[in-house]
Amino acid sequence: MAKNDKKELVIIGAGPGGYAAAFHAADLGIKVTLIDPEVNPGGVCLYRGCIPSKALLHLAKTKEEAMKASEWGMQFEKPKINRKKIAEWKESVVKKLTDGLGQLSKSRKIEYVQGKAKFTGENELEVSPEKGEKFKVSFEKAIIATGSSAMELPNLEIDHKKIWDATDALELKEIPKKMLVIGGGYIGLELGSVYASLGTKVSVAEMTPGFLPGTDRDLIKIFQKKEPFKNVYFETKVEEVKMTKEGVKVFLKGKNDEKSKKFDCVLVAVGRKPNTQNLGLDKLGISPNENGFIEVDAERRTDHEHIFAIGDITGEPMLAHKASHEGRIAAEVIAGKKGAAYDPKVIPAIVFTNPELAWCGLTENEAKEIGRKVKIVKFPWVASGRAAAIGENKGFTKLLIDPESEVILGGAVAGKNAGSLISEIALAVEMGSTASDLSLTIHPHPTLSETIMESAELFYGSATHFKKG
Amino acid sequence: MAKEIKIPQISESVDTATVSEILVSKGDKIEEGQGVIAVETDKASTEIPATSAGKVKEIKVSEGDEVSVGDVILILEEAEGGSEENEESGDEKEKKEASEEEENGKKEEKQDKTSEEKEKKKTKDKQDKSEEKKEGEEKSAEEEDEDESKDESADEDKDYEEKKSSEKSEKDKPTDKQSSKEVYASPGVRRMARELGVNIQEIEGSGESGRITEKDVKSHKEGGGKRSGTVQLELPDFSKWGAVERKPLNNIKKTTAKNVLESWQSIPHVFQFGEADISGIESYMEDHKEKVEEAGGKLTLTAILTKVVATALHKFPMFNASIDIEKEEMILKKYVNINIAVATDEGLLVPVIKNADQKSIKDLSVEISEIAQKARDQKLSNEDMEGGNFSISNLGGIGGTNFTPIVYHPQVAILGVSRAGIKPVYIDDNFEPRSILPLSLSYDHRLIDGADGASFMNWMVKALEDPYEALLG
Repeated sequence: MAKNDKKELVIIGAGPGGYAAAFHAADLGIKVTLIDPEVNPGGVCLYRGCIPSKALLHLAKTKEEAMKASEWGMQFEKPKINRKKIAEWKESVVKKLTDGLGQLSKSRKIEYVQGKAKFTGENELEVSPEKGEKFKVSFEKAIIATGSSAMELPNLEIDHKKIWDATDALELKEIPKKMLVIGGGYIGLELGSVYASLGTKVSVAEMTPGFLPGTDRDLIKIFQKKEPFKNVYFETKVEEVKMTKEGVKVFLKGKNDEKSKKFDCVLVAVGRKPNTQNLGLDKLGISPNENGFIEVDAERRTDHEHIFAIGDITGEPMLAHKASHEGRIAAEVIAGKKGAAYDPKVIPAIVFTNPELAWCGLTENEAKEIGRKVKIVKFPWVASGRAAAIGENKGFTKLLIDPESEVILGGAVAGKNAGSLISEIALAVEMGSTASDLSLTIHPHPTLSETIMESAELFYGSATHFKKG
Repeated sequence: MAKEIKIPQISESVDTATVSEILVSKGDKIEEGQGVIAVETDKASTEIPATSAGKVKEIKVSEGDEVSVGDVILILEEAEGGSEENEESGDEKEKKEASEEEENGKKEEKQDKTSEEKEKKKTKDKQDKSEEKKEGEEKSAEEEDEDESKDESADEDKDYEEKKSSEKSEKDKPTDKQSSKEVYASPGVRRMARELGVNIQEIEGSGESGRITEKDVKSHKEGGGKRSGTVQLELPDFSKWGAVERKPLNNIKKTTAKNVLESWQSIPHVFQFGEADISGIESYMEDHKEKVEEAGGKLTLTAILTKVVATALHKFPMFNASIDIEKEEMILKKYVNINIAVATDEGLLVPVIKNADQKSIKDLSVEISEIAQKARDQKLSNEDMEGGNFSISNLGGIGGTNFTPIVYHPQVAILGVSRAGIKPVYIDDNFEPRSILPLSLSYDHRLIDGADGASFMNWMVKALEDPYEALLG
């Protein structure tokens, strides 16, 4: 490998942001060097995040549905959990996808370097490869796509034995009898659900008064109704954690009370922080803002013309699909495509619990906060034929609509496949569609997608399968 | 001291508007930024915000009034008389403070908070005067706030309420900005706008609920922002050279200005001139004058020209058409409606004679006399002015040898008529004095070619000179 020639484009980090940028840039005729510590592209999302957790959540859902089938006359035996096999299967899913990305990278003639990179100058990087000696790389343009990592609590060290982070939880090294999840955000809820389904008695401690702070409460109610966890401690802080012979002793400080509880293990899922350390940003004169993010413009440029940043390090929400979009935008800007800029109206968010919760665009909470007038229409799934046929009657579909222009401003879905259903609402918001656009589009019957059409019909006062009041 | 709230510059090109609603009443306490009246312009309806807070003392406008930039809308009573600006000299201020101190004493019981605030400020004020420079570093955060509020209202008499409201209105600002900047357009269209270098915020969407389409962006680009960006040439300050008077344009003038500009910018004009010997027509008019008068009209050259044009439009249907560039079609109209330009005291009006081809010269004379009168009396309805296919502008009554009228969009041609004069014409080896009428034809070259224009003019001239020959074909 010639290591001294100037690279046209170097991308640091091969997560969903970095590899999307690399692939698109290569397709646009740019010579790309992609640097990442893993063997193949994929990043946290594929190796230790979105994908493995979804594989495990799929099993959780399968079990739940099988158990529920007894109510309808199909009795299954209690499932036998083969932890090792599950872990292997999950690994195989991850390997298949990351190998595939490696292939896609090769077929695009991308120079993939397994290692870590650090800026040593405005046009120079130092790469510490997995094997071999450090070397310098000079470049014309660079994209920083180093992502984020799990946040830790100041008084609680993750020992990866009894005190886990999300990565440990996904490794499925053991199925503890009793587990405490610290943090009621989406990671805590998803992984908590996985372990609950595997037979663990899961409790959750959350600092704020409810799960998923900031999210519309009606969505969370649908999830909470199913009582997925053994104990839930809201407005509770973990004061101290002590390792004892019998397990992990946790001191919980609630609003009005203090208690100590024993668990076999503790999962810390208190959020993520952008990876801006050890990147040599100081050599570029770039310093993260007060929230730790690197500031970029609409074209995803940093303060330097030739250095771009995408994904989790550029700001909330720290989501793979936002990163991929930014990656493609940055690639297009670098390829000189006019008009390429980051200006989404919605970034859909999904919690892959059972039931799934998904929302996009304006939320009810935000509307209240900014004093925006909206008409909210909500179609309960109890009125959906398909929902009844699959035993899913607790969900709902909700739209937020501008009362005057009738434009769809946002929406949310709680229930099975909410994550897939939300895309239609996202498209509607991006397109500036009106309620009539949705209500006049024929939706296939019998599907859950009809609930979106019927919500829009509700805006005009008459939905076929639901009569208000 | 009273404060006035005036009409601000409503938008770039609009400086007059009609008051459509009064939103406050006498005695109301209003806040800065609150809408006080709603006004309507040709373009939009908008609320005029108060530029300062206070109690409404007098409302100077009423609904239906035409108002201009700078007109006083209402007068506010100042809360406990002080100027809001920091204009007073130090001496005056101190005097005021002294007298106010007594007043404050009375109020203290009622409004603990208010007086507390004032006390703080007062003591600080005194400090400030002696050690103005030093303070910066020593201040705590709380004190800094204090200081800001002091800067805003140099006079101490502003009461607490008022301060609170000004704080609030400041807080509200960012949200306002956000909501006014909402654009409904698909991501693809938004990107295209960026590609074309068009600011999508400036585009008016043609889609449902104002959604901006690809076409909107393109036409905005093609127009070079023509609609919004018709170059507003700057005016010098004429008063440097002598006295001037500014008068608002009336609605007729405003409409004409807008229409002719749009026509002139969108229609590529060509002008064709001709001369017709109307000596024959003049004697014809003399002969039949009385008959028409009996019918209640006046036999004019315009009436005869209308009849001739109506016949010409049958022969040259392209002059009775419109052009649809978008669909790349011409629209041929199977009816003949002709506009007659009428000069009135208020400005130019252009009523329509419907189905002119089916009317006799006598009927046309009567109708033209009536409708011209209606125009001069400002009694034309919209219907009287709609649906014309071709226009005639006859300035012969006034004078001039020729002029080039502007085609009225969506029409494609207009006939301009000047004053007939006696000219020597060489007939049968002799010069004879004949009455010669100068004609000009302006047409839209997108639809009509030069040869068509000349043929039309030739036929018109022939028809005026020898109708039988013209009708022969």
